[in-house]
Amino acid sequence: MNLKSYRNLFIVITLILTLIAASPALATVISFQGGSEQFSEFWLLGPEHVAENYPFNVSTGEMYNIFVDLANHMDRSEYYLVQVKFGNSTQLDFDSSKPGSLSPLYEFRVFVGDEDVWGSPVTFGFQNVSIKDVVHSADNVTMNVPIEDVVLSVDDVIINGMVFPVDASTSWDSENSGFYFRLSFELWRYDVALKSYSFHNRVVGLQLNMTGS
Amino acid sequence: MTSWPKLLMISALFFLLQVSIPWVTASNANVVTGVFIETEEVLHSAYAAVLDAERAGANVSVLLDRLNLAGEYLSEAYFWYRSGDSETANRFAGLCRDAVGNVRNEAVELMDAAKAAGDAEFVETVFESIVGVIVIVVSCYVVWLIFKRRYRRQVLGLKPEVGSSES
Repeated sequence: MNLKSYRNLFIVITLILTLIAASPALATVISFQGGSEQFSEFWLLGPEHVAENYPFNVSTGEMYNIFVDLANHMDRSEYYLVQVKFGNSTQLDFDSSKPGSLSPLYEFRVFVGDEDVWGSPVTFGFQNVSIKDVVHSADNVTMNVPIEDVVLSVDDVIINGMVFPVDASTSWDSENSGFYFRLSFELWRYDVALKSYSFHNRVVGLQLNMTGS
Repeated sequence: MTSWPKLLMISALFFLLQVSIPWVTASNANVVTGVFIETEEVLHSAYAAVLDAERAGANVSVLLDRLNLAGEYLSEAYFWYRSGDSETANRFAGLCRDAVGNVRNEAVELMDAAKAAGDAEFVETVFESIVGVIVIVVSCYVVWLIFKRRYRRQVLGLKPEVGSSES
């Protein structure tokens, strides 16, 4: 190895050390964005705050507890709007690509810091549940009426102590043997640039069998 | 005979009452809608200011707590509005605006403070980097000079021997 080779080696080492010394200042000027994905997590938990024992067979007069939680990974604080909706399987299909057409019954408006988690208990129940004979247009259903001719209607949904009048009814689901309704939670967020709420492509919900009512 | 004008007046009054009640209700609904628009705007502008402060590097967790309280009041206000109780809805919308209060101004203050702190930190970082670079360049140059001198001394110190071809 001659002197010229040693000189080149010294120059390379000096440049590397210089870059290391200048890296704090360079980091403030050069931003490395686009590395992390921006998203929100949204989930429901059962009454023990774990993912089990979700209410399924429900009846009038009983109250049921679940938890709705969300986590913010949007790299900034977010203003979320959680809309609670109730309807039958035709009205609510748990499709995350579009929000349900029904008006929300209950709303949570929450501001969640970046990488923070928000959660809230939700207590719900039903009242004024009735069955109607749709073929014979009678409110009082006799034992002789086939179950396929019967429609089960819910007039009131109670969420966190507040009573919400609803117009929800469902007919007998012969495939799954039950009268099924859905309680859905949609996640929206406030878009500062658009100055409006936009659906955040997150829907979670419960399928509820009201045959016991 | 005098009873006819009285009857006419009473009828006219009834007619006016009938016409005015829906008008008053509609006007009241418009007022409530206006209150909601105003409340939402107050909340949104406070949130935008908090985001600016956060982007500048400020800790906004306290402000977010206050906005959360305001959000709860607004949800409650919408519930009462949908239930047809405009008065309670109005009261909760007012509570929401009170909860937002000075959040916007405080966020602006936090943002200014964070920007000033950020600028000072930037200057300090750049200064430290420049000093570091100078120290490294000078040190390397000195090491190079010392190395070069020792290398030459070593090379010049070598005494080449001429081998004899005679055996």
